[in-house]
Amino acid sequence: MFVTIAHFAVVVALSLAAIGVLASLVALRTGLPAWVRVGRQAVYLTFAMLTLGMAGLEYAFLSHDYSLAYVAANSNTDLPLFYLATALWGGHEGSLLLWAWLLSLYAALAARLHWNSHARTMPYLLLVTSALLVGFISMIVFLSSPFALLPEIPVDGQGLNPLLQDPGMVFHPPFLYMGYVGFSIPFAFAMAALFSGRVSEEWLKATRRWTLFAWLMLTFGIVMGGYWAYYELGWGGYWAWDPVENASFMPWLTATAFLHSMMVQEARRSFKVWNVFLIIVTFALSLLGTFLVRSGVISSVHSFASDPSRGVYILLFMGIVLAFSFGALIARSGKLKSEVSIDSLASREATFLFNNLFFLVAAATVFVGTLYPLFLEALTGGKVTVGAPYYNQVFPPLMLGIVLLMGIGPLIPWRKASVARLKQDLLLPFGCALLATAAGFMLGMREAYPLIGLGVACFAAVAIALNFRSATFGVMRRDGLSWPRALWAAATRNKRRFGGQIVHAGVVMMMAGLIGSGAFKTEKDVLLNAGDSFSLGSYTVRFQGAQFRNGHNYDALVGFFEVWRGTEKIAELRPERRNYVNAAMPTTEAAIDDTWLRDIYLTLGSANGDAYAVKAYLNPLVKWIWTGVIVMGLGTLFALLQGRRIKGDKA
Amino acid sequence: MTRGRKWGAIGSVVAMAAALGYLVLGSFGDSLVYFYTPSEVVKLSADFHDRTIRVGGMVEPGSMTVMPQSLKIGFRLSDGETTIPVAYEGVPPDLFKDGQGAVVEGNWNSNGVFQASFIMAKHAEDYMPIEMKRDGKAMPKEDWLKSLRN
Repeated sequence: MFVTIAHFAVVVALSLAAIGVLASLVALRTGLPAWVRVGRQAVYLTFAMLTLGMAGLEYAFLSHDYSLAYVAANSNTDLPLFYLATALWGGHEGSLLLWAWLLSLYAALAARLHWNSHARTMPYLLLVTSALLVGFISMIVFLSSPFALLPEIPVDGQGLNPLLQDPGMVFHPPFLYMGYVGFSIPFAFAMAALFSGRVSEEWLKATRRWTLFAWLMLTFGIVMGGYWAYYELGWGGYWAWDPVENASFMPWLTATAFLHSMMVQEARRSFKVWNVFLIIVTFALSLLGTFLVRSGVISSVHSFASDPSRGVYILLFMGIVLAFSFGALIARSGKLKSEVSIDSLASREATFLFNNLFFLVAAATVFVGTLYPLFLEALTGGKVTVGAPYYNQVFPPLMLGIVLLMGIGPLIPWRKASVARLKQDLLLPFGCALLATAAGFMLGMREAYPLIGLGVACFAAVAIALNFRSATFGVMRRDGLSWPRALWAAATRNKRRFGGQIVHAGVVMMMAGLIGSGAFKTEKDVLLNAGDSFSLGSYTVRFQGAQFRNGHNYDALVGFFEVWRGTEKIAELRPERRNYVNAAMPTTEAAIDDTWLRDIYLTLGSANGDAYAVKAYLNPLVKWIWTGVIVMGLGTLFALLQGRRIKGDKA
Repeated sequence: MTRGRKWGAIGSVVAMAAALGYLVLGSFGDSLVYFYTPSEVVKLSADFHDRTIRVGGMVEPGSMTVMPQSLKIGFRLSDGETTIPVAYEGVPPDLFKDGQGAVVEGNWNSNGVFQASFIMAKHAEDYMPIEMKRDGKAMPKEDWLKSLRN
């Protein structure tokens, strides 16, 4: 009964979103505030209805209601409670509902938060968010309903894919969606600016924190996916340039470019058209990212059994969004002419320009690599994969360029730097970089990219440290505080800047991890009988044998390993090979011993007589990747704490 | 900015963009890995022996041989019409077994054996629409092969 109500609520939400669109249009035509209030109420009620829908679907899962095809397809009686509750977004229909719900939540929040400060923008904001909601809820109601019923109620469900029965996989979609959906608000504000013809820095200032928050969520979502792939999929890596991974990476790249270029507009009132262009592209790529995994054109871990009508709808939806947004941009680009242009190459504007160039080239690279196979197949029928070598050729130099700019950027002033002063400021970081490269060379590193990467990472790290130092010293001199207090005072007086520097420090950490594990990993496949051992780098791994054990909804073969270095036992590792009750395929559970220096990673394969096939990896510095992203997160949160003096657009 | 400086700046940005563009597209052609079915692979000319390619099919039931005390395995890959022998050394992925779909990446060498450096096994059932699974129908061959493509 509750489930039926929930289904009805979602249908009602569609009508409400449509009312929101109409009301906003009337508000814009007539200028009557009453209609804006109707639009706002429509958005609030859409959120309420979708919340009811989500609650009903959740109830269906928790009560094992297998009359719903979606519940039967994604759960069963044995499923542990945690995974039962989160199976709601384990499949296409439910995850789409989650997306729409998040969109309605953000729309309602935006309407509430900006109601007083941005009264003139509000009708446009309501219009765009309601229109997006109409698009998504229509797809749910007509093409992908989680409430579709089965003709006969099965005795038990098919269960959740074992790969998804994992905390990392549970949180990955919500974080990713909070990123994608998060960009809809800056997008809506940009559209509002274009449609209304009042384009100033206001739309950027209003949405800075939305953008930052969405970017943070997307960053976490992506790295979480990588982290999960690393410890769950058992191939010792975290990124495979799989089309679905790329689909989430592209909006991240353009969003990062946008985060930086919007600072130029705030400081120097330039890059105006560019910024609007970037947020449109970022949001479009977010939509692409959402849809690529479910359109049926790509098969991968993520793909869901496809239906051609979905693909057509998606193309139409994206086409409409792009047509409206780019159309508006072209129509209004006359009003967006910047007041100032770039004075000199040796300026912060220029570093931001190059930053954007690198990020956009990176995004274009991934775009070509991901979509080319699709176009080729559509045109010629030929099937092709773009391999990792393509990405590995392009990304290292781009990454190095970006990190180099990270070091230079904060130290270089706006407008025009005196080259002499610049040389003086960059001397120390450069010197340290040379030392680091030399040290790497002496330690035996011979390949160009890792050596240069080491140098560039050092350059950036020292530059960031110098930044902190000069800010601290400034406060110490002015206010006479001790250095810890001065550092804290400097940080809290400019949370944006300091938060940004912390994020950059996290990026350097991640880069160290990526270089270490990318360039210096060791991999071994061995066949072991009980009692055998093998060497892995400077370690010796001893296999003691395998045993069976039973878990909640699986049974597992556990391998017992000891890792030794010389005469000292470093670790005991127990990789498993699990057979879940509802799955025909076994699942690997890798065992990892992680330290700051390296990960030792073991997986257990199938038996060959009395012997077992084992994969072993020695991955240096992987831990720096995960900790680096946490530092990035902390820096972003710190930067988010800085509010703004509300000027708004009440005039 | 003076005119000369401006052109210099534009020039350097364009030069950098061109260099990056070359980097991106120059390596593109070599990184493409084409996908074939066993029927298509046997028709490939000798030029293809050096190229890394992918072949998809079903592991013929009963065709798997494992060399004792080693990680060398051999099996036959079939698309319903043609069957090819495949050799692999290493630990195959979890889903790899008789009667399941698999995609192998490697080289088709001159003595008619496909030397695989990677095996990607796919659970073909997952890509079947729910209704068909319930009816117990096997997937039409084209859709199933399509699901193996990536």
